[in-house]
Amino acid sequence: MQDWISMPLVGFPLVASIVLLAFVSNTNESMRKRLSNPIRMASLIFSLLLLAITTGMFFQYFGNVSWEGISFNNYEFAHRYTWIESLGIHWSVGLDALSFPMVWLTTFLLPVTIIATWNEKNGAVYFPILLAMGGALIGVFVALDLFMFYVFWELTLIPMFFLILMWGGKDRKYASQKFFIYTFTASVVMLLGLITLYFFQDSANPLEYAGSMTGRTFDIPTITQHALMENSNGNWYLGANIQKVLFAMLMLGFLVKLPAVPFHTWLPDAHVQAPTGGSMLLAGVMLKMGAYGMFRLPISLFPHALQYFQFVLLAIGMVSLVWGAIVCLGQTNLKKMVAYSSVSHMGVILIGIATMQPMGWAAALFMMFAHGIISPMLFAVCGAFKHHYHSMEIGAMRGMAKHSPWLATSMMFAWMASLGLPLLAGFVAELMMLIALWYFLAAEGLSVFWMVGPALVLAVTAAYYLWSMQRTIFEGGDDTQPPASLGNGPVPDIANPEKLAMIILAFFTIAFGVMPWIALDMMHDWTIQIFEGLVLPILGDFSGGA
Amino acid sequence: MSNMTTVEPFGDGFVSALCPELILFTGMLLLILVPNLGQGTFRIPGTQIRLPWLLGGTRFKFTSDPRLPAWIASITLGGAFAKVLYTFSQGLERVSIVSESGKELLLVNGFSRIFELIFFGALALAAFSSMNRLQVNGIGAKVSEQELYNNRRQADFYILMVTCALGMSVVALAQDLFVLFIGLELASFSTYVLVAFLKESKVGVESGMKYFIVGSVASGVGLYGLSMLYLWAGSLQFSVLAATFAESGTTALPLIGIGFVLVGFGFKVSAAPFHFAAPDAYSGATSPVAGVLATASKAMGMIGLVRMLLIVAAPESSDGSAVWLVCLGAMAAITMTWGNLAALGSDNPKRMLAYSSVAHAGYMLAALTAVGAWNWDAAVSGDASAAAVAVMTALLFHLVVLVAFKLGAFLVLSLLESEGGASRLSSLGGLAKREPLLAVAMFIFMISLAGVPPMAGFLSKLLVIMGIVRVAVGGMGAEIADGGIYALGDMHWVWWLALLMVINSAISVFYYLRVVVVMFFDEPEQGREGPLPNGWQVRVAILACVLTTILVGVAGDSLIRLCEMAAQSLNYNW
Repeated sequence: MQDWISMPLVGFPLVASIVLLAFVSNTNESMRKRLSNPIRMASLIFSLLLLAITTGMFFQYFGNVSWEGISFNNYEFAHRYTWIESLGIHWSVGLDALSFPMVWLTTFLLPVTIIATWNEKNGAVYFPILLAMGGALIGVFVALDLFMFYVFWELTLIPMFFLILMWGGKDRKYASQKFFIYTFTASVVMLLGLITLYFFQDSANPLEYAGSMTGRTFDIPTITQHALMENSNGNWYLGANIQKVLFAMLMLGFLVKLPAVPFHTWLPDAHVQAPTGGSMLLAGVMLKMGAYGMFRLPISLFPHALQYFQFVLLAIGMVSLVWGAIVCLGQTNLKKMVAYSSVSHMGVILIGIATMQPMGWAAALFMMFAHGIISPMLFAVCGAFKHHYHSMEIGAMRGMAKHSPWLATSMMFAWMASLGLPLLAGFVAELMMLIALWYFLAAEGLSVFWMVGPALVLAVTAAYYLWSMQRTIFEGGDDTQPPASLGNGPVPDIANPEKLAMIILAFFTIAFGVMPWIALDMMHDWTIQIFEGLVLPILGDFSGGA
Repeated sequence: MSNMTTVEPFGDGFVSALCPELILFTGMLLLILVPNLGQGTFRIPGTQIRLPWLLGGTRFKFTSDPRLPAWIASITLGGAFAKVLYTFSQGLERVSIVSESGKELLLVNGFSRIFELIFFGALALAAFSSMNRLQVNGIGAKVSEQELYNNRRQADFYILMVTCALGMSVVALAQDLFVLFIGLELASFSTYVLVAFLKESKVGVESGMKYFIVGSVASGVGLYGLSMLYLWAGSLQFSVLAATFAESGTTALPLIGIGFVLVGFGFKVSAAPFHFAAPDAYSGATSPVAGVLATASKAMGMIGLVRMLLIVAAPESSDGSAVWLVCLGAMAAITMTWGNLAALGSDNPKRMLAYSSVAHAGYMLAALTAVGAWNWDAAVSGDASAAAVAVMTALLFHLVVLVAFKLGAFLVLSLLESEGGASRLSSLGGLAKREPLLAVAMFIFMISLAGVPPMAGFLSKLLVIMGIVRVAVGGMGAEIADGGIYALGDMHWVWWLALLMVINSAISVFYYLRVVVVMFFDEPEQGREGPLPNGWQVRVAILACVLTTILVGVAGDSLIRLCEMAAQSLNYNW
């Protein structure tokens, strides 16, 4: 079968971005201004091509795919090329129902981000960097080789670092470095975990795709297969102690990326300082790398350890959920509030994972997807604020409904979607998480007390969202009183490209809220598969522990 | 493995085995002779007949060109580099050069060849780009006294570059501790002078002086150790020393002797606590020379460490632990942490790079420590020697690719220096606006030093960590598959060095990123807004470094194999 992933989805945006950047690198300022428009158009067309490919994949135009039928550890569009043979490293790509929604989401957000930030300054450099970001993100999701996964995992830092550093707000210098160092630190610990895992493979048995120098392999499907065999025999893969340690090391990298309390502090800084486009991709896709990584590696390889750490993860998830929401209440900066709401929503994902229920995992997967559509809209709204009102302070803008009806409507819609209004995408995920948690508590015979956290959070979330809307959209500001931050200038509404982006995002929020099965079916199918393969065999020693 | 051929000096096969060194020697002679060629004549005594004798007198137009020595040196070093590369493509042979009394003096094999590759590559790049750093003035026009002086001393600089390369390759080839020391001193003295070459600047003289004093003390201690080893074994041949050590190594005399010798090499690799002169030397020297110190000179010291620790004081193959294991492990831990912490507080980019080079020395020492533990796991039969080769491969790979991105970073600074100083971080300010491509190159070097994929620095760090972890895990994987139960604590303690190494990599990101932020964020210093001075030679050298950094990072398989071959040829017990 034709390789639809390597060159078209990963290589093309990266190469296109490098070519475009090389093209503008030796031009002067005025030339760069003139080039900005054609480069923006080219970037948009390129990203639409990517979207066309992934959408075609979804509608099965390429190859004979049925996203619902893919069993655990089997991949569609899979291709493997030798990369560094001596170490057992391959360029190995493939998609399953875990990664495909994320890849589609990336290719969907890329053109939307380009449209939403149509008038970003220094566009000749900005739009190619967005493309590179997209290519690197897709690379993370399609990689089926630990080395390749790690390479793309780190590669995403570079374009994001420059997006924050060069287009960010006042404290961008600090924020960009903090972002880079924080996530890099967690990743190198994860890298050591990956390497230790690599060498704990049994080199005495000839492994598939093993390196000539090491006798071990980086190939994820092969490792997963070995782990699956061991785990389903009732043994801990690699033994209890080592499995726990490796689980913890890998999870550290993913928890920081997610981010979960107490590793979340880089996120508000990065978001507040990042430009709108950076925030949209950061919240939309980059955070999901953490959750994706958890499913792909620690959960798939170490289900026993997951069970062992179940309550730790549940606690971290609960704390993230509650803490994120409570901190939101105290924010006066709109973007910071939205950033902390992301922390809260990532807590939902973590709780879903920690329940170890198929529905909880499906909820986590759907939350990844739904939050990937809703949060870019939140940040697009914040960006529009900053752009047109020159302020992010919640108190600084009043009576927006009168001044800027488009912005006010978009804001209201995005806020409602984020607080989980029924029939919008976020609601489905949150409801599923609550049901799964309920199941879990019932199965464990635990007190219903655990439900208080999530329930409380629903109220708190509603409170800060409604409060901020009330302060910005409705209260005050008749026609004679434009917002103070504008001076006496004209009161603007959002520009046409921004309107278009809002409409697209709103449309898909509704679409996936009303018809969640479009994406949920494949996710649910996949979670059933992974659950039957991984968790059911180990439930035998559920009470006894290890 | 190819068979060993034994060759006597100037016997059959001598020339082909030592061809790169002979190229250097010829180049050195040319550097001395060619600038002196002129219309000099020799009068036969008692007659009026003057025979043209070509030395001295009015120089020819061609030979008086002050740019000539730089070209001769670059072509010599480049030619030697190309020759070594060519021998790799021809398949490696193993040639031993033996004195008339049957003592092995030099050994040409994969191990020495890969170091020659490092030395000649680094020095060729440095010599080539020094053409811009050491300005030649007013060709064909009237020049001032100072300019004339600058033109005159061009030859000295490049002669020293070539002798430095010659000394280094002797170190790589030497099979006798005494020969090794001769090579080491030849290279060292060349670098002392090179560091202090700009004697008009106070910093240059001071740093040269410091470097010389500390370096010669280290050498002296090393020589003293050498004499103790001679007293103990009666020979300085590595093979004899190793055999004697295996019999009666763990007595005081040889251990103290080896310890003293290690001080000399520890200074060269700038391992803590012998690294104090390094930051001063790097910041005082011209950037290309500093780049040589950080790459080639460090690789030279590493040869000494490898020979002393892995050949002479070889780890016992029964339980694998070397006597020096804990000592070296502690030194590695201190060196990498100290280097990184010191680099955090440094505002001078050259000092920062010097401390980062100390940190990298720590990573390499950690790898060496792992080799010392190569056979600790008695359960492992076949895998252990492969593990030792893997760590050695990583070490060699790291040294090779370091030339690309560390020297590259110094070359970028060299361009700034020739514009007017690069001793403050702010002199890099606004580089992205002034010269975007140069800023991107520096960015690539920085993230490669930090170990961010997909650069060569990531692959080398990955290989080192992989090697250490491999030794630490030993044969546990197979045992677990057979139902054995192990915990994290069952791994060898060198695993914690790997953990310390990744934490240190994370720390190092702070100061590497600071350079990037200054380049892309800050405004240029006053009066330095325009593009940097021309200098196509430096730019070509930087381009070569960038390409190597990226290409090796993306497709490093063939270089890994090359290094593996070299690592295997180091020790046949593995």
